[in-house]
Amino acid sequence: MSVLKSIGGKLKSYRTGGNQETADHRWGMVVDLDRCNGCEACVVACYAENNLPVVGEADCAVSRAFSWIRIERYVEGEYPNVKTGFIPIMCQQCGKAPCETGCPVYATYHNQDGLNVQVYNRCVGTFTCATYCPYDVRRFNWRSYKPQAPLDEQLNPDVSVREMGVMEKCTFCIQRIVAAKDKAKDENRAVKDGDVRPACVQSCPPGALVFGDLNDPASEVSKLAKSPRRYRLLEELNADPSVIYLKRVADEGKNE
Amino acid sequence: MKVADAVKQIIGLAVVGGACFVIGYAVNITYFYDRTPVQPIEFSHKIHAGDNQIPCKYCHLYVERSRVSGVPNVQRCMGCHKIIKTDSPLIQKLTAYWDNKEPIPWVKVHNLPDYVRFTHKRHIKAGLQCQECHGDVASMSRITKVSSLKMGWCLSCHEKKSVKNGKDCWTCHK
Repeated sequence: MSVLKSIGGKLKSYRTGGNQETADHRWGMVVDLDRCNGCEACVVACYAENNLPVVGEADCAVSRAFSWIRIERYVEGEYPNVKTGFIPIMCQQCGKAPCETGCPVYATYHNQDGLNVQVYNRCVGTFTCATYCPYDVRRFNWRSYKPQAPLDEQLNPDVSVREMGVMEKCTFCIQRIVAAKDKAKDENRAVKDGDVRPACVQSCPPGALVFGDLNDPASEVSKLAKSPRRYRLLEELNADPSVIYLKRVADEGKNE
Repeated sequence: MKVADAVKQIIGLAVVGGACFVIGYAVNITYFYDRTPVQPIEFSHKIHAGDNQIPCKYCHLYVERSRVSGVPNVQRCMGCHKIIKTDSPLIQKLTAYWDNKEPIPWVKVHNLPDYVRFTHKRHIKAGLQCQECHGDVASMSRITKVSSLKMGWCLSCHEKKSVKNGKDCWTCHK
Protein backbone atom coordinates (compact mmCIF):
# COMPACT_ATOMS: atom_id res chain seq x y z
CA MET A 1 0.00 0.00 0.00
CA SER A 2 2.74 2.41 0.97
CA VAL A 3 4.42 1.83 -2.39
CA LEU A 4 1.19 2.68 -4.18
CA LYS A 5 0.83 5.77 -2.03
CA SER A 6 4.35 6.97 -2.77
CA ILE A 7 3.82 6.43 -6.50
CA GLY A 8 0.52 8.27 -6.29
CA GLY A 9 2.16 11.10 -4.40
CA LYS A 10 4.87 11.40 -7.04
CA LEU A 11 2.33 11.45 -9.85
CA LYS A 12 0.32 14.06 -8.00
CA SER A 13 3.37 16.26 -7.50
CA TYR A 14 4.06 15.84 -11.19
CA ARG A 15 0.64 17.09 -12.10
CA THR A 16 0.95 20.13 -9.86
CA GLY A 17 2.19 23.14 -11.74
CA GLY A 18 5.76 24.16 -11.12
CA ASN A 19 6.73 20.83 -9.60
CA GLN A 20 10.44 21.44 -10.08
CA GLU A 21 11.99 22.10 -6.70
CA THR A 22 15.08 23.79 -8.05
CA ALA A 23 15.25 25.85 -11.19
CA ASP A 24 18.41 26.70 -13.07
CA HIS A 25 16.78 29.37 -15.18
CA ARG A 26 13.43 30.81 -15.96
CA TRP A 27 13.59 31.53 -19.64
CA GLY A 28 11.20 34.25 -20.64
CA MET A 29 10.39 36.60 -23.44
CA VAL A 30 9.30 40.20 -23.60
CA VAL A 31 7.23 41.29 -26.59
CA ASP A 32 7.16 45.03 -27.14
CA LEU A 33 3.92 45.62 -29.02
CA ASP A 34 4.93 49.20 -29.77
CA ARG A 35 7.68 47.83 -31.98
CA CYS A 36 5.86 44.94 -33.62
CA ASN A 37 4.77 45.88 -37.13
CA GLY A 38 3.35 42.50 -38.06
CA CYS A 39 5.91 41.59 -40.70
CA GLU A 40 5.80 37.88 -39.76
CA ALA A 41 9.56 37.44 -40.07
CA CYS A 42 9.40 35.55 -36.77
CA VAL A 43 6.92 33.10 -38.25
CA VAL A 44 9.14 32.40 -41.24
CA ALA A 45 12.22 32.05 -39.04
CA CYS A 46 10.38 29.62 -36.81
CA TYR A 47 9.33 27.51 -39.77
CA ALA A 48 12.93 27.30 -40.96
CA GLU A 49 14.52 26.68 -37.57
CA ASN A 50 12.17 24.09 -36.18
CA ASN A 51 11.48 21.94 -39.27
CA LEU A 52 7.84 22.91 -39.37
CA PRO A 53 5.93 21.40 -42.26
CA VAL A 54 4.05 23.51 -44.76
CA VAL A 55 0.66 21.89 -44.56
CA GLY A 56 -0.93 23.45 -47.60
CA GLU A 57 -4.11 25.26 -48.35
CA ALA A 58 -6.56 22.43 -47.80
CA ASP A 59 -5.32 21.65 -44.30
CA CYS A 60 -5.17 25.32 -43.37
CA ALA A 61 -8.81 25.63 -44.37
CA VAL A 62 -9.78 23.11 -41.69
CA SER A 63 -7.74 24.94 -39.00
CA ARG A 64 -4.67 22.77 -39.15
CA ALA A 65 -2.27 25.63 -39.82
CA PHE A 66 1.06 24.79 -38.32
CA SER A 67 2.93 27.90 -37.18
CA TRP A 68 4.29 27.72 -33.64
CA ILE A 69 4.19 31.50 -33.49
CA ARG A 70 1.37 33.43 -35.07
CA ILE A 71 0.58 37.09 -35.51
CA GLU A 72 -2.89 38.10 -34.50
CA ARG A 73 -4.27 41.28 -35.96
CA TYR A 74 -6.58 43.69 -34.23
CA VAL A 75 -8.43 46.49 -35.97
CA GLU A 76 -9.78 49.12 -33.65
CA GLY A 77 -12.08 52.00 -34.42
CA GLU A 78 -14.18 52.74 -37.44
CA TYR A 79 -13.10 53.90 -40.83
CA PRO A 80 -11.44 56.39 -41.40
CA ASN A 81 -10.14 56.44 -37.81
CA VAL A 82 -8.70 52.95 -37.87
CA LYS A 83 -5.80 51.60 -35.84
CA THR A 84 -4.30 48.21 -36.52
CA GLY A 85 -2.42 46.36 -33.86
CA PHE A 86 -0.44 43.15 -34.07
CA ILE A 87 0.30 40.69 -31.37
CA PRO A 88 2.63 37.73 -31.82
CA ILE A 89 1.47 34.71 -29.86
CA MET A 90 3.71 31.74 -29.19
CA CYS A 91 3.66 29.15 -26.41
CA GLN A 92 3.60 31.17 -23.22
CA GLN A 93 5.68 28.54 -21.34
CA CYS A 94 3.36 28.85 -18.35
CA GLY A 95 4.84 28.35 -14.92
CA LYS A 96 1.65 26.59 -13.89
CA ALA A 97 0.75 25.18 -17.25
CA PRO A 98 -2.78 23.86 -17.70
CA CYS A 99 -1.62 21.53 -20.50
CA GLU A 100 0.72 19.64 -18.17
CA THR A 101 -2.09 18.59 -15.88
CA GLY A 102 -3.95 16.73 -18.60
CA CYS A 103 -1.42 14.57 -20.38
CA PRO A 104 -2.05 10.89 -19.58
CA VAL A 105 1.45 9.80 -20.55
CA TYR A 106 3.44 12.72 -19.06
CA ALA A 107 4.69 13.77 -22.46
CA THR A 108 4.56 17.42 -21.47
CA TYR A 109 6.25 18.50 -18.28
CA HIS A 110 8.13 21.34 -16.69
CA ASN A 111 11.88 21.10 -16.75
CA GLN A 112 14.53 22.71 -14.61
CA ASP A 113 14.86 25.67 -16.98
CA GLY A 114 11.30 26.81 -16.41
CA LEU A 115 10.35 25.53 -19.83
CA ASN A 116 7.17 23.69 -20.56
CA VAL A 117 8.60 21.01 -22.80
CA GLN A 118 7.04 18.36 -24.99
CA VAL A 119 8.56 14.90 -25.38
CA TYR A 120 7.71 13.78 -28.89
CA ASN A 121 8.67 10.16 -28.35
CA ARG A 122 6.31 9.86 -25.45
CA CYS A 123 3.35 11.64 -26.99
CA VAL A 124 0.48 9.41 -28.04
CA GLY A 125 -1.63 12.18 -29.49
CA THR A 126 -4.64 12.34 -27.19
CA PHE A 127 -5.02 16.06 -27.96
CA THR A 128 -5.76 16.75 -24.28
CA CYS A 129 -3.04 19.38 -23.91
CA ALA A 130 -4.31 21.32 -26.92
CA THR A 131 -7.78 21.27 -25.45
CA TYR A 132 -6.52 22.55 -22.12
CA CYS A 133 -4.30 25.26 -23.59
CA PRO A 134 -5.98 28.66 -23.21
CA TYR A 135 -3.68 30.30 -25.76
CA ASP A 136 -4.27 27.84 -28.63
CA VAL A 137 -0.61 27.40 -29.44
CA ARG A 138 -0.28 23.65 -29.60
CA ARG A 139 -0.10 22.09 -33.03
CA PHE A 140 -0.97 18.56 -33.98
CA ASN A 141 0.60 16.47 -36.74
CA TRP A 142 -2.47 15.24 -38.55
CA ARG A 143 -0.26 13.56 -41.12
CA SER A 144 3.40 12.72 -41.56
CA TYR A 145 4.22 15.79 -43.57
CA LYS A 146 7.12 15.10 -45.89
CA PRO A 147 9.14 18.14 -46.92
CA GLN A 148 9.06 18.60 -50.67
CA ALA A 149 12.10 18.17 -52.85
CA PRO A 150 14.39 21.13 -52.26
CA LEU A 151 13.08 21.81 -48.75
CA ASP A 152 14.25 18.51 -47.27
CA GLU A 153 17.82 19.69 -47.62
CA GLN A 154 17.33 22.66 -45.34
CA LEU A 155 16.04 20.70 -42.36
CA ASN A 156 17.68 21.59 -39.09
CA PRO A 157 19.69 18.60 -37.85
CA ASP A 158 19.33 19.77 -34.25
CA VAL A 159 15.57 19.34 -34.35
CA SER A 160 13.82 16.07 -35.00
CA VAL A 161 11.19 15.77 -37.69
CA ARG A 162 7.94 14.91 -35.99
CA GLU A 163 5.59 12.31 -37.35
CA MET A 164 1.89 11.76 -37.50
CA GLY A 165 -0.01 11.76 -34.22
CA VAL A 166 2.39 13.91 -32.24
CA MET A 167 1.56 17.18 -30.53
CA GLU A 168 4.13 19.93 -30.67
CA LYS A 169 4.56 23.57 -29.82
CA CYS A 170 7.06 26.37 -29.42
CA THR A 171 10.07 25.20 -27.43
CA PHE A 172 11.75 28.61 -27.07
CA CYS A 173 14.29 27.06 -29.47
CA ILE A 174 15.53 24.64 -26.84
CA GLN A 175 18.22 23.41 -29.24
CA ARG A 176 19.79 26.86 -29.08
CA ILE A 177 19.51 26.92 -25.30
CA VAL A 178 21.27 23.57 -25.14
CA ALA A 179 23.95 24.77 -27.56
CA ALA A 180 24.53 27.94 -25.51
CA LYS A 181 24.81 25.91 -22.33
CA ASP A 182 27.23 23.56 -24.03
CA LYS A 183 29.42 26.45 -25.13
CA ALA A 184 29.27 28.06 -21.70
CA LYS A 185 30.31 24.79 -20.11
CA ASP A 186 33.29 24.57 -22.44
CA GLU A 187 34.34 28.06 -21.46
CA ASN A 188 33.72 27.24 -17.80
CA ARG A 189 31.21 29.98 -17.12
CA ALA A 190 27.49 30.38 -16.58
CA VAL A 191 25.17 31.18 -19.46
CA LYS A 192 25.08 34.93 -19.72
CA ASP A 193 22.42 37.29 -20.98
CA GLY A 194 22.31 37.41 -24.77
CA ASP A 195 23.84 33.97 -25.30
CA VAL A 196 20.54 32.46 -26.28
CA ARG A 197 18.45 33.96 -29.04
CA PRO A 198 15.57 31.97 -30.44
CA ALA A 199 14.98 32.16 -34.16
CA CYS A 200 12.07 34.60 -33.83
CA VAL A 201 14.07 36.95 -31.62
CA GLN A 202 17.04 36.82 -33.93
CA SER A 203 14.98 37.62 -37.00
CA CYS A 204 12.73 40.36 -35.61
CA PRO A 205 13.68 43.49 -37.62
CA PRO A 206 12.32 46.12 -35.19
CA GLY A 207 13.62 44.19 -32.16
CA ALA A 208 10.21 43.71 -30.63
CA LEU A 209 11.11 40.37 -29.10
CA VAL A 210 13.65 40.07 -26.29
CA PHE A 211 14.67 36.78 -24.76
CA GLY A 212 16.50 36.01 -21.55
CA ASP A 213 16.49 34.64 -18.04
CA LEU A 214 13.79 36.10 -15.81
CA ASN A 215 15.59 34.77 -12.72
CA ASP A 216 18.60 36.94 -13.45
CA PRO A 217 17.77 40.48 -12.26
CA ALA A 218 20.45 42.02 -14.49
CA SER A 219 19.16 40.56 -17.73
CA GLU A 220 17.44 42.70 -20.32
CA VAL A 221 14.15 40.86 -20.05
CA SER A 222 14.02 41.34 -16.29
CA LYS A 223 14.51 45.07 -16.73
CA LEU A 224 11.89 45.29 -19.46
CA ALA A 225 9.53 43.14 -17.45
CA LYS A 226 9.35 45.87 -14.80
CA SER A 227 7.95 48.33 -17.33
CA PRO A 228 4.61 49.94 -16.39
CA ARG A 229 3.29 48.82 -19.77
CA ARG A 230 3.62 45.16 -18.87
CA TYR A 231 0.80 42.68 -19.01
CA ARG A 232 0.43 39.00 -19.63
CA LEU A 233 -2.16 37.24 -21.70
CA LEU A 234 -5.24 36.00 -19.83
CA GLU A 235 -3.62 36.71 -16.51
CA GLU A 236 -6.88 35.96 -14.67
CA LEU A 237 -6.39 32.26 -15.47
CA ASN A 238 -3.36 32.28 -13.16
CA ALA A 239 -1.27 30.14 -15.50
CA ASP A 240 1.81 32.27 -14.78
CA PRO A 241 3.07 32.70 -18.37
CA SER A 242 6.74 33.44 -19.06
CA VAL A 243 5.95 35.70 -22.00
CA ILE A 244 5.42 39.31 -21.02
CA TYR A 245 3.77 41.77 -23.37
CA LEU A 246 4.37 45.52 -23.29
CA LYS A 247 1.21 47.41 -24.10
CA ARG A 248 0.94 49.38 -27.33
CA VAL A 249 0.86 53.09 -26.50
CA ALA A 250 2.59 54.62 -29.51
CA ASP A 251 -0.49 56.05 -31.17
CA GLU A 252 -2.55 56.65 -28.10
CA GLY A 253 -4.31 60.00 -28.32
CA LYS A 254 -3.51 60.48 -31.98
CA ASN A 255 -6.74 59.52 -33.67
CA GLU A 256 -9.13 61.05 -31.19
CA MET B 1 -19.83 -20.97 -18.17
CA LYS B 2 -19.54 -18.69 -21.15
CA VAL B 3 -17.63 -16.09 -19.15
CA ALA B 4 -15.11 -18.70 -18.02
CA ASP B 5 -14.61 -19.75 -21.64
CA ALA B 6 -13.98 -16.17 -22.66
CA VAL B 7 -11.46 -15.75 -19.85
CA LYS B 8 -9.71 -18.94 -20.90
CA GLN B 9 -9.62 -17.74 -24.48
CA ILE B 10 -8.10 -14.40 -23.47
CA ILE B 11 -5.47 -16.05 -21.28
CA GLY B 12 -4.64 -18.49 -24.07
CA LEU B 13 -4.25 -15.67 -26.57
CA ALA B 14 -2.06 -13.73 -24.15
CA VAL B 15 0.20 -16.74 -23.54
CA VAL B 16 0.55 -17.55 -27.23
CA GLY B 17 1.07 -13.90 -28.12
CA GLY B 18 3.68 -13.46 -25.42
CA ALA B 19 5.54 -16.59 -26.53
CA CYS B 20 5.49 -15.40 -30.15
CA PHE B 21 6.81 -12.02 -29.10
CA VAL B 22 9.68 -13.49 -27.09
CA ILE B 23 10.65 -15.94 -29.85
CA GLY B 24 10.40 -13.25 -32.51
CA TYR B 25 12.52 -10.88 -30.46
CA ALA B 26 15.19 -13.52 -29.90
CA VAL B 27 15.25 -14.51 -33.58
CA ASN B 28 15.47 -10.90 -34.61
CA ILE B 29 18.36 -10.19 -32.26
CA THR B 30 20.32 -13.33 -33.20
CA TYR B 31 19.77 -13.60 -36.94
CA PHE B 32 18.67 -10.27 -38.32
CA TYR B 33 20.72 -7.86 -36.28
CA ASP B 34 24.36 -7.53 -37.15
CA ARG B 35 26.52 -6.34 -34.31
CA THR B 36 29.70 -6.88 -36.29
CA PRO B 37 28.98 -5.77 -39.85
CA VAL B 38 31.43 -6.55 -42.65
CA GLN B 39 33.34 -3.43 -43.65
CA PRO B 40 34.38 -2.52 -47.21
CA ILE B 41 38.02 -2.91 -46.19
CA GLU B 42 38.96 -5.40 -43.50
CA PHE B 43 40.40 -2.73 -41.27
CA SER B 44 41.68 -4.14 -38.01
CA HIS B 45 41.63 -2.05 -34.86
CA LYS B 46 43.65 -4.83 -33.25
CA ILE B 47 46.63 -4.13 -35.50
CA HIS B 48 46.37 -0.34 -35.28
CA ALA B 49 45.21 0.40 -31.73
CA GLY B 50 46.34 -2.86 -30.17
CA ASP B 51 49.64 -3.99 -31.60
CA ASN B 52 50.91 -0.63 -32.78
CA GLN B 53 49.48 1.43 -29.91
CA ILE B 54 48.11 4.27 -32.04
CA PRO B 55 45.96 6.43 -29.71
CA CYS B 56 42.24 6.67 -30.59
CA LYS B 57 42.43 10.44 -31.00
CA TYR B 58 45.05 10.20 -33.71
CA CYS B 59 42.40 9.08 -36.19
CA HIS B 60 39.13 10.02 -34.47
CA LEU B 61 40.37 13.54 -34.07
CA TYR B 62 37.17 15.49 -33.47
CA VAL B 63 36.20 13.57 -30.37
CA GLU B 64 37.27 16.31 -27.95
CA ARG B 65 35.67 19.21 -29.73
CA SER B 66 32.66 17.90 -31.60
CA ARG B 67 29.49 15.94 -31.33
CA VAL B 68 30.90 13.16 -33.49
CA SER B 69 34.26 11.51 -33.05
CA GLY B 70 34.86 11.58 -36.78
CA VAL B 71 35.67 8.77 -39.14
CA PRO B 72 39.12 9.55 -40.53
CA ASN B 73 39.30 10.59 -44.13
CA VAL B 74 41.27 8.61 -46.72
CA GLN B 75 44.04 11.17 -46.55
CA ARG B 76 44.72 10.25 -42.93
CA CYS B 77 45.01 6.59 -43.87
CA MET B 78 47.29 7.44 -46.77
CA GLY B 79 49.46 9.58 -44.53
CA CYS B 80 50.99 6.36 -43.24
CA HIS B 81 50.10 3.88 -45.93
CA LYS B 82 51.92 5.67 -48.72
CA ILE B 83 54.99 4.00 -47.31
CA ILE B 84 53.79 1.33 -44.88
CA LYS B 85 52.88 -2.12 -46.19
CA THR B 86 52.10 -0.96 -49.72
CA ASP B 87 52.41 -4.51 -51.04
CA SER B 88 49.45 -5.82 -49.03
CA PRO B 89 46.27 -6.38 -51.08
CA LEU B 90 44.15 -4.58 -48.47
CA ILE B 91 46.33 -1.49 -48.69
CA GLN B 92 46.09 -1.64 -52.46
CA LYS B 93 42.30 -1.59 -52.02
CA LEU B 94 42.74 1.56 -49.95
CA THR B 95 45.04 3.07 -52.55
CA ALA B 96 42.39 2.41 -55.17
CA TYR B 97 39.93 4.52 -53.19
CA TRP B 98 42.60 7.21 -52.88
CA ASP B 99 43.36 7.16 -56.60
CA ASN B 100 39.67 7.30 -57.53
CA LYS B 101 39.18 10.16 -55.05
CA GLU B 102 36.32 8.30 -53.39
CA PRO B 103 35.49 8.06 -49.69
CA ILE B 104 35.46 4.59 -48.18
CA PRO B 105 31.84 3.53 -47.55
CA TRP B 106 32.35 2.38 -43.94
CA VAL B 107 29.36 0.72 -42.31
CA LYS B 108 28.25 2.51 -39.17
CA VAL B 109 28.28 0.23 -36.15
CA HIS B 110 27.30 2.56 -33.32
CA ASN B 111 24.22 4.20 -34.74
CA LEU B 112 21.89 6.36 -32.69
CA PRO B 113 18.34 7.22 -33.73
CA ASP B 114 17.53 10.58 -35.23
CA TYR B 115 15.87 11.92 -32.09
CA VAL B 116 18.93 11.57 -29.86
CA ARG B 117 21.32 14.41 -29.22
CA PHE B 118 24.56 12.77 -28.17
CA THR B 119 27.83 14.66 -27.90
CA HIS B 120 31.16 12.87 -27.71
CA LYS B 121 32.82 16.09 -26.53
CA ARG B 122 30.80 16.33 -23.33
CA HIS B 123 31.48 12.72 -22.40
CA ILE B 124 35.20 12.85 -23.13
CA LYS B 125 35.53 16.08 -21.18
CA ALA B 126 33.77 14.45 -18.25
CA GLY B 127 36.67 12.01 -18.17
CA LEU B 128 35.09 8.95 -19.75
CA GLN B 129 37.37 6.54 -21.51
CA CYS B 130 36.44 5.40 -25.03
CA GLN B 131 36.53 1.80 -23.83
CA GLU B 132 33.72 2.33 -21.33
CA CYS B 133 31.14 2.45 -24.13
CA HIS B 134 32.94 0.99 -27.13
CA GLY B 135 34.50 -1.98 -25.35
CA ASP B 136 38.06 -3.16 -25.74
CA VAL B 137 38.48 -1.93 -29.30
CA ALA B 138 42.20 -2.64 -29.25
CA SER B 139 41.51 -6.38 -29.25
CA MET B 140 38.82 -6.38 -31.97
CA SER B 141 39.88 -7.24 -35.48
CA ARG B 142 36.43 -6.19 -36.67
CA ILE B 143 34.43 -3.66 -34.64
CA THR B 144 31.58 -5.10 -32.59
CA LYS B 145 28.86 -3.15 -30.87
CA VAL B 146 29.38 -3.99 -27.22
CA SER B 147 26.88 -1.70 -25.51
CA SER B 148 23.19 -1.74 -26.29
CA LEU B 149 23.06 2.08 -26.70
CA LYS B 150 19.49 1.95 -25.43
CA MET B 151 17.95 4.62 -23.23
CA GLY B 152 18.05 2.46 -20.13
CA TRP B 153 21.75 1.89 -20.65
CA CYS B 154 22.38 5.64 -20.95
CA LEU B 155 20.27 6.44 -17.91
CA SER B 156 21.86 3.80 -15.69
CA CYS B 157 25.23 5.50 -16.17
CA HIS B 158 23.77 9.00 -15.76
CA GLU B 159 22.18 7.88 -12.55
CA LYS B 160 25.28 6.14 -11.25
CA LYS B 161 27.46 9.19 -11.87
CA SER B 162 24.66 11.58 -10.76
CA VAL B 163 24.92 13.77 -13.83
CA LYS B 164 23.34 17.19 -13.39
CA ASN B 165 19.99 17.23 -15.21
CA GLY B 166 21.01 13.83 -16.51
CA LYS B 167 17.48 12.49 -16.37
CA ASP B 168 15.76 15.41 -18.05
CA CYS B 169 14.33 14.25 -21.39
CA TRP B 170 15.61 17.24 -23.33
CA THR B 171 19.19 16.73 -22.19
CA CYS B 172 19.51 13.88 -24.67
CA HIS B 173 16.42 14.05 -26.88
CA LYS B 174 15.67 16.62 -29.49
